[in-house]
Amino acid sequence: MADAIRVASVVRTFGAVRALDGLDLAVRAGEILGLLGPNGSGKSTLIRVIVGLLRPSSGTVVVLDERMPSRRVAARIGYMTQSAALYEDLTARENLIFFGRLYGLSRSEAKRRAAELIDRVSLSEKADVPVNRLSGGMRQRTNLACALIHRPELLLLDEPTVGIDPKARRGLWDYFYRLHGEGATIVVSTHIMDEVERCHRVAMIEQGRIIALGTPEELRRAVGASTIEDAYLAFSGGAAAMAIGGAGA
Amino acid sequence: MSLERVTAIAGRIFTQFRRDHRTLALILVVPIVVMSLVGYLLSERREPVPVGFANADQGAGAPVEPINLGTALEEELHREASITLRRYASAEAAEAAVRSGDVLGAVEIPEGFSERVLSRRPVSLRIVVRGIEPVTDGTVKITVGRAMARLAERMAAATGAPGGAGRAVTIEDVSLLAGPGLSTIDYYGPSFIVAFAFFFTFLLTSVSFLRERSTGTIERLAASPATRLEVVVGYLLGFLVFALLQSLVIMGYGVWALDMRVAGSIGLALLVLAVLVVGVVNLGIALSFFARNELQVVQFIPLVFVPQLLLAGLIWPVETFHPILRTVAQVLPLTHALAALRTVMIAGGGLADIQGRLLVLLAFAAAMIALGAGALQKQKA
Repeated sequence: MADAIRVASVVRTFGAVRALDGLDLAVRAGEILGLLGPNGSGKSTLIRVIVGLLRPSSGTVVVLDERMPSRRVAARIGYMTQSAALYEDLTARENLIFFGRLYGLSRSEAKRRAAELIDRVSLSEKADVPVNRLSGGMRQRTNLACALIHRPELLLLDEPTVGIDPKARRGLWDYFYRLHGEGATIVVSTHIMDEVERCHRVAMIEQGRIIALGTPEELRRAVGASTIEDAYLAFSGGAAAMAIGGAGA
Repeated sequence: MSLERVTAIAGRIFTQFRRDHRTLALILVVPIVVMSLVGYLLSERREPVPVGFANADQGAGAPVEPINLGTALEEELHREASITLRRYASAEAAEAAVRSGDVLGAVEIPEGFSERVLSRRPVSLRIVVRGIEPVTDGTVKITVGRAMARLAERMAAATGAPGGAGRAVTIEDVSLLAGPGLSTIDYYGPSFIVAFAFFFTFLLTSVSFLRERSTGTIERLAASPATRLEVVVGYLLGFLVFALLQSLVIMGYGVWALDMRVAGSIGLALLVLAVLVVGVVNLGIALSFFARNELQVVQFIPLVFVPQLLLAGLIWPVETFHPILRTVAQVLPLTHALAALRTVMIAGGGLADIQGRLLVLLAFAAAMIALGAGALQKQKA
């Protein structure tokens, strides 16, 4: 299977801080990859470098066979942040149509696609209400729909379920699986262990490096842990970087 | 009331201010800069106003010795600190200099001036001003009047004829560019129109654009295939509609409700405002990138707006500034917008008269678009 994302020896510094410290990672096309790591470990920086929002200080990022940042590839990526970055005074539908047109859809195409997504993320009742009157779960569903408006092949989700109740979170994951079923590659950062279990593979990231990579099962087995949380704490405690199950560091 | 809670709140504010160095600097430094400017502008230390002088008087034989009253007046005018005198060969040459802005006023002594004054026949002397800016016009008139009064006193002392000779002299005021009958609102109307257009446009754009950033939608734009220029020009078009609508309201209300004079084309006056507003919209966008919250945008107002309020010629004419401040005034967009608007509204000037100013305003707009796009890049990097 081809790689959707190849990150090679990427360093990104902010002043004296090395947010990414020679990070290598390959994401296979069609998989759901979880990024697990503490706050400040470099998860968000990694996602922003992959999306093309940040330039690496050194190293290369290749996404969908093109070196980032690339405007052409930007049109094939869906990006969703933890805070719903939406126009508060616009309705969910208006937000969707706006982002659709920003990604090159015609007005009528954007309208059609918005209606389709509103239905799909179950927003029909509130689609024409200003976003600032929606609940947290509905906002995040709108946020996801905005990231999907242009039918991206690759989805980057930066802690998409923070502040969402369990039921709404389950709903979002159902959408993620459905997108996976349609062939999308998904990279999702989280520190909710239950979500980590749902990923095909998990990359553990700490201090700007990948410290472990593998399926949840492989990671648990490697350190003899019964839960992914124990496995994570074991890897995080053990200084040695490990790569499990093929591709990676 | 709990003193504990009150001091907790006051203490928290104190800590916040101590952390926010930019605010602290603005609170302490800006007033000093602004007060220094105001102090200078209100002082008498400003540069003298250049005034032309054309003397066609041949002089006359006085009771004691031959005298040229034109030359005598010239001497008196040279003693005035508020003007600098430049001599021209003819009244026409002096008036041409006023039109071109080389001098801001002119005094013209007619042929046979001395003779008529001494024989107590009526004679008039012309004071020519531009008539588009009241402060220097007033300076010219008051200064000439003062010099004349001194001359009359001197003559009275010399001839022993108290108050005699001067009485036959009348002063003819000529407003070269605008003509007489201008009211205060006609004079200052353009000042307020440009100032408000600038202020409201700046506020409108910078605050709304900042919201874009605080909600994170700007990052979504940055992650999309949209180019920086597309984003900046898109914003420009969106805001421009409202900024122009506002200019239309300000201008329309000034002209129809407050009866401001519009000697030239109102369309041209609106064009001046439109070009100014394009630049200001982009200035607002660019500066809101450097602000983290609404408070900091508000803090940019004294930095951006107050110097222009003081130095663009709204109240105090740029011509009377110290050369350094005059140079500063030349880089402020409001200076050029105001000069162009005054030319159109008061003097009835056409496109040819203001094209230089319009070019400067266009250059400002282009520079601000570049700055806005550059700031967007910074956001992305």
